[in-house]
Amino acid sequence: MSKRLIVTNSKKCIGCELCVFQAQTEARKVGLEGSPIRILREMKDKLQYVVDIDPSINKLNIEKIKASCPKAVLDITESEKSYDET
Amino acid sequence: MKPKKIAYINLAKNEYEVKNLTELEPYIGGVGIGIKLYQMHQAEDPIIFSIGPLNGFFPFASKTCVTLENDGTVEDLYLGGSLSSRIKYAGLDAIVFLNTSSQNTLVEFENDAVRFFNENIVAASLGLPGKKSVLEAAEGSLVLDGYFEPRIGILYSKFVKKNLNGFVITGTKAYEIEDFAKYRELFKKILSMTDRMKVPESTNPSCFACPMGCDLSKYGEVGGNVLVHSLVACYLAEDIYNDIGIVFACLDVLGYKYTHEDLENFPELISKTLKDL
Repeated sequence: MSKRLIVTNSKKCIGCELCVFQAQTEARKVGLEGSPIRILREMKDKLQYVVDIDPSINKLNIEKIKASCPKAVLDITESEKSYDET
Repeated sequence: MKPKKIAYINLAKNEYEVKNLTELEPYIGGVGIGIKLYQMHQAEDPIIFSIGPLNGFFPFASKTCVTLENDGTVEDLYLGGSLSSRIKYAGLDAIVFLNTSSQNTLVEFENDAVRFFNENIVAASLGLPGKKSVLEAAEGSLVLDGYFEPRIGILYSKFVKKNLNGFVITGTKAYEIEDFAKYRELFKKILSMTDRMKVPESTNPSCFACPMGCDLSKYGEVGGNVLVHSLVACYLAEDIYNDIGIVFACLDVLGYKYTHEDLENFPELISKTLKDL
């Protein structure tokens, strides 16, 4: 079974983008371009963040990406199907 | 050292120009280049948004310096949020708004390309999601990224005076670092220094690359330590970024060739520049 990075607590996201830093580390670059994880801002009653994950992130070290979040927004799940079979 | 890349926005003419200025190299960044650019363009009533060498690269280096004149005095304000990282990823070191527009103006940057909008347009509709920062006038204040604001109202007043409704900046540039392993090691070391922050962790919207989510970031800063604010780090991380050893290591791994003496003599350079105004 393959492991997938998922968002379990998006309301806790503080928008620090440390997960983006970690994801980009494997490409040995600094910046937002090409990142498989993005933090989007959404205005409702107050500012909220939406964590947008591209399935290609699961090719990276998702344990480290999960651990990079200071607010435990991310988790890892195991599914029977891998992302590219869905 | 590296030349500083400056985007000049002439609001009176809806024109822009991007220049690489080697004469700004000794001024490091942030308040340093802000004050120098103010001195160079004083007659055109500039508003200068300037970042430092550590923005977009290291934790707790998340501020954007804003230099402007207020009642005959040069002020330096600091905004949090993600603005400094977007300016960095746009490949710029500073944005200088000059003169006054004759009509309401919103400015959009995509890296170093600029578009002017004079009709009513929603700022949030511009730019690339996840890669942009939005600063706009709203309800008597300036609001950055839907949350962050300047600590005092003089920046909003200056925007109103210049008919500047705000700006949106998207940065799509990615940087490669020669010794990436050393950079990441230093990044993680600094990130682990949360015990040296002057504020406890909380759950508020946070500035870029800051895990604190603190109660104080919303309203930015005014004035303060010139070395920390040339970098441009948060004053709440002053204990970390006032350490010349840490600063030198950060600059070195990013390829800046400042010497210890450059850093130690920097406050004197700023004092002299201010006296010359």
